[in-house]
Amino acid sequence: MRITRITLANCRNYGEATIEPQAGLNVFLGRNAQGKSNLLEAIGLLGTGKSFRTSREAEIVREGYGLAAVSADAVVRSGNVTLGFTIARGERTTRKTLTINGRAVRYAHFLGKLRVVSFAPADLAVIVGAPGLRRAFLNLALAQEQPNYYTALAMYARTLRQKNALLRSGPPYDEELFAIYDRTMVERGARMTLARAQYVQTLGPHARAEHLRWSAGEELVLGYNSAIGYEIGDDEAMLRERFERALETGRTRERARGAALVGPHRDDLTLALDGRSLAEYGSQGQHRTALLALKVAEYRAMAAATGEAPLLLLDDVLSELDPDRAARFLDGLGGFEQAFVTATHLEHALPGATAFSIEGARIARVA
Amino acid sequence: MTRSEPPAEPVVALINEFTKLPTIGPKTAARLVFHILNRPRNEAQSLSEAILAVKDRVGFCSVCASITESDPCAFCRDERRDATLLCVVADAKDLYAIERSGAFHGRYHVLGGVISPMDGIGPGQLRVRELVERVGSEATHEVIIATNPNAEGEATALYLSRLLAPLVATVSRLAYGLPIGSDLDYADEATLARALEGRRLM
Ligand SMILES: [Zn+2]
Repeated sequence: MRITRITLANCRNYGEATIEPQAGLNVFLGRNAQGKSNLLEAIGLLGTGKSFRTSREAEIVREGYGLAAVSADAVVRSGNVTLGFTIARGERTTRKTLTINGRAVRYAHFLGKLRVVSFAPADLAVIVGAPGLRRAFLNLALAQEQPNYYTALAMYARTLRQKNALLRSGPPYDEELFAIYDRTMVERGARMTLARAQYVQTLGPHARAEHLRWSAGEELVLGYNSAIGYEIGDDEAMLRERFERALETGRTRERARGAALVGPHRDDLTLALDGRSLAEYGSQGQHRTALLALKVAEYRAMAAATGEAPLLLLDDVLSELDPDRAARFLDGLGGFEQAFVTATHLEHALPGATAFSIEGARIARVA
Repeated sequence: MTRSEPPAEPVVALINEFTKLPTIGPKTAARLVFHILNRPRNEAQSLSEAILAVKDRVGFCSVCASITESDPCAFCRDERRDATLLCVVADAKDLYAIERSGAFHGRYHVLGGVISPMDGIGPGQLRVRELVERVGSEATHEVIIATNPNAEGEATALYLSRLLAPLVATVSRLAYGLPIGSDLDYADEATLARALEGRRLM
């Protein structure tokens, strides 16, 4: 898949900007704070409907304006499609609208039309940060690959909040209501656990192989740490049973603590290097290499699962690598259709790349 | 040094009133007030009268809790409506949505919301007890639960169906399907899955 035109209106520091990216590498060069990351964020919005830089999405709307919009013409396997994302900042709330060919659609429908894998230095937090960041990584990749996953996740997350509110309200509890929330969480949570565990199993060999290309024989092993006790070979029905049993065992504890303690919202993606936890023992260099391997794995897995290479968004990543390593990284992806790369400068020209300059939110093609 | 004159007291008071309304912030409130200032007096009068009339003349039906000028409401009084069919909705605007379809000829029951502990709403804050009493005493054969297909609507529907199952022959849930005029390949998977679950024989 690729984008043939993208227009930004009042996104961050942009007034209005339109570019026509080419197939292959599109390189955006400019000093810091000119709008390079903002452009990649905007492209990402069309893929995931969410910003990969902020959870306060009102920030996306340009200072002093009420409405930000991104739209793009894309060529995907099923044909040509025009995708739109607008966010309106009201006095109290923000409202997002997602469109496909000019028609407003629900989030679950928008997801997966344009798939993106983004990679920025700040993603290092996925390796060393809290488990929630790794769950978010899994959620975003899976939601793009399988729209059904998003439906289960959204229902689960909302039901979890309701159950937590019920637990916080204290006894006497409405047991009937507890049973209903638990039932929904078991049904959706078993599906989520299975999808995530299988996804990690798919990522594992890709990540391990890519990691070996960059390190001196160290072995990277991915695992899925499941709060309900997933074991390889489990199917959805078995996971529902495990979940039910875990809820029964944890009931007293949940009520004492006033919080839901059992379910995939407590899970984690584990990364180990030669048998030792990477986050705890690794050096910064090892963390970087593991992140690179994880991102390449995400890209390859998404391309394989959907039969279509996703858009690659590299924010200030290639400039960290020397030309040999940059070429090796791109090679590791196993071929991409379109990539967007930002850098303050490139030591060496990237062969075959289309170059743009970004200065003060103005994007110009560099001949 | 410049000093700005504060707006007249009645302007401030009306802005304050407007900001109490849902979705209206201070900017919108100020716009509404200045719009009203620029319109003739009779328009302001009919607006204020319409607001008062809603409070003075409209109330809730003591049977189904829909909005009505007379109690019981027209739906509950209408003998041609099927009293064995009861449709449960979260609020009155859902009732009017179903009524506009012209496809339902039974009676209604308005819950006054959905179960949502996050918002402090449990079954006790809704008209659930009244529903149980109605189903137990009236000649109801089927209760159709027409809450939204989101987490709260689903939980409310499950809660009610467990509660009502011993009292009535059939408890059903509104089927959610494809919007008329939409293309199959443009429907999201969740909608399609729902439409399949709710399929019927031809
Ligand atoms: Zn009535």
